[in-house]
Amino acid sequence: MEVILLFAMVIGLLMIGVPIAVSLGFSSVLFLLWFSDSSLASVAQTLFNAFEGHYTLLAIPFFILASSFMSTGGVARRIINFSIACVGHFHGGLAIAGVFACMLFAALSGSSPATVVAIGSIVIAGMRQVGYTKEFAAGVICNAGTLGILIPPSIVMVVYAAAVEVSVGRMFLAGVIPGLLAGLMLMVAIYVIARIKDMPKGVRASWGERLKTGLEAGWGLFLIVIILGGIYGGIFTPTEAAAVAALYAWAIASFVYKDMGPFKATPAKAGSAAAILTLGTALLAVPFWFFMEPKAALALGFIMAIGLSFYIARSNNTSTAPTDLASDLIRMPIAFWHRDTVDTLFEAGKLTVTLLFVIANALILKHVLTDEQIPQQITQAMLAAGLGPIAFLIVVNVILLIGGQFMEPSGLLVIVAPLVFPIAIQLGIDPIHLGIIMVVNMEIGMITPPVGLNLFVTSGVAGMPMMAVVKAALPFLAVLFVFLIMITYIPIISTFLPNLVMGPEIITK
Amino acid sequence: MAHYIKSPTDRLEETLIAMILGAMTLVTFANVVARYGFNSNILWAVEFTVFLFAWMVLLGASYAVKIGAHIGVDAIVNLVSPGVRKVMSLIAVCVCIAFSLLLLKGSWDYWANFANLPGTEGRWFPTGFEDKFRGKAWYETDDIPMPAILNWMEGAFNDGDEYEKLPRLIPYMIMPISMALLVFRFIQAAFRLLRGDITMIIVSHEAEDQIEDAAQYVKDNA
Repeated sequence: MEVILLFAMVIGLLMIGVPIAVSLGFSSVLFLLWFSDSSLASVAQTLFNAFEGHYTLLAIPFFILASSFMSTGGVARRIINFSIACVGHFHGGLAIAGVFACMLFAALSGSSPATVVAIGSIVIAGMRQVGYTKEFAAGVICNAGTLGILIPPSIVMVVYAAAVEVSVGRMFLAGVIPGLLAGLMLMVAIYVIARIKDMPKGVRASWGERLKTGLEAGWGLFLIVIILGGIYGGIFTPTEAAAVAALYAWAIASFVYKDMGPFKATPAKAGSAAAILTLGTALLAVPFWFFMEPKAALALGFIMAIGLSFYIARSNNTSTAPTDLASDLIRMPIAFWHRDTVDTLFEAGKLTVTLLFVIANALILKHVLTDEQIPQQITQAMLAAGLGPIAFLIVVNVILLIGGQFMEPSGLLVIVAPLVFPIAIQLGIDPIHLGIIMVVNMEIGMITPPVGLNLFVTSGVAGMPMMAVVKAALPFLAVLFVFLIMITYIPIISTFLPNLVMGPEIITK
Repeated sequence: MAHYIKSPTDRLEETLIAMILGAMTLVTFANVVARYGFNSNILWAVEFTVFLFAWMVLLGASYAVKIGAHIGVDAIVNLVSPGVRKVMSLIAVCVCIAFSLLLLKGSWDYWANFANLPGTEGRWFPTGFEDKFRGKAWYETDDIPMPAILNWMEGAFNDGDEYEKLPRLIPYMIMPISMALLVFRFIQAAFRLLRGDITMIIVSHEAEDQIEDAAQYVKDNA
């Protein structure tokens, strides 16, 4: 019974506008002081242990940082150009390209509102220009933006993995097929609507055009290779992969796309030569690293980079004078402490702080729940009531759909996951499958009326009243609902890839 | 969101958050390079990064109060009349102050023994310092080496015995510091609410800042 009081208090505090972190932390502290003999010092210890004891969570700041560097402007635009070149010639092509761009951007970033803001602003404006209604544009982006948390890397998945102690690598892999499937379903729905309403189609891009835009966007999209390849190739831990991705994203934004840093204000004298020489040497050396001494690999990479930079300088007609190159090379290190870098680091840091403060406090609540053996009690009650897997999954669906309306997904997940996880294990539901169900539920919670986080964001970006966005999003929401049912009751969609790549999972109860 | 001119303290806090995150990234990256390039691990990299992480979030929490960046549920708060909203927000901020005060006591009690200082008596409120306690200043981190500049601590905390690794009192020190800052910032926020400078202490999601720019872009280009 005390538990009901605990949750009532959390919800009550949330409603009057107490920050999520404080609502969770304060309720837990009161509960502990009232009903148990834990001391405040042990609460403080739990708070600190949220960081000290959860190495997995360390991936979050790095993923946020990588996506902040990628959001500095140019990447979203290049991804959209590439998407339009690929699918723009279908009926409703620009809308389909918008979904495709959201999918690609989701593979660089781990957050849904961020995806809507980055891709949404450009695509909605673009769709209006070629004659789509604002409503249609907003509906598409609002839904496609939710893919941000389903397609890896995903901050929500890292949080789930940390909360119930499953492998982050598995969760990421499990998101791939559902992510592609959801995107495809949305695209098909758009195509059908576009055929019925005879919506505009773009010009078919040549393969040369596709290759060119693809290469442009490729620098950013290579991040996917680093993250997924690095983790599954056994090269890095997920945390390390995220850190490498962050540094790579910074180098690309500063030296290749030149969207920030010293070369944005004063253009490089020798074009891309300096960037190709340095980054090229490092990247080209990597494959040789496996066969030879590091020094030899670097030397080989350097020679190839010289050749490449000369070739590109010739074909782009930029300067090859050694003095110009030298001045560029000298200016490169400035990017480390350039105002733009510091500002992006701060923005990413701020986001990390707010998210992690919620998660750390949710871990205090989790600590309370485990101490009081609440999950076990709920499990007993549920099993005694004769709840089967299907009924259980429906309950989970409903809880998350309601919760996802109001709350930031990662915070919600830290609380709900430990509660439902033991029951799911008892009922023989795969932990990875459960994780994907939870993520998809939260995606939908974000776009379910009346509130829904993504609805707010889209109405803000598109400058439309909330209800108009709700109405616009409805047809696609229906598609995602079908998708949710598929994900919930066909486990193999989620578990196939991780089991294939990483072997069947061993569940320890 | 309240917009105001950045003070030197803002700059300091922002730079600190940025620098910690930058350091975390570089250390983790350096560890990968060391492993593949030089076949050796930087032993202290993981533990050091984890402590930096804790420092960033705990210090940042009070800064987030100052700029009103903590995430919350604004669905109800936005529905009610301004008067009711003010009352609700004031209650909310009082809850926050109570929470941070409780945690301040908790973190002092937790940290104090690591620094050979007395914790406080009392369950809810500090009713005095404990008379007898066992100092734990000898307790070292697992892997982080002791920088020579801190050697004076051996005399101050460890009866002159040598520290081989950094003592835990240093990473844990952030707990009482950050909670004291948190109390301070929440009290500040309460006054700002009372004066009417801000109407609530939360934002509903993390991308709120960027929406305005994005909306402007859509307006300009459509």
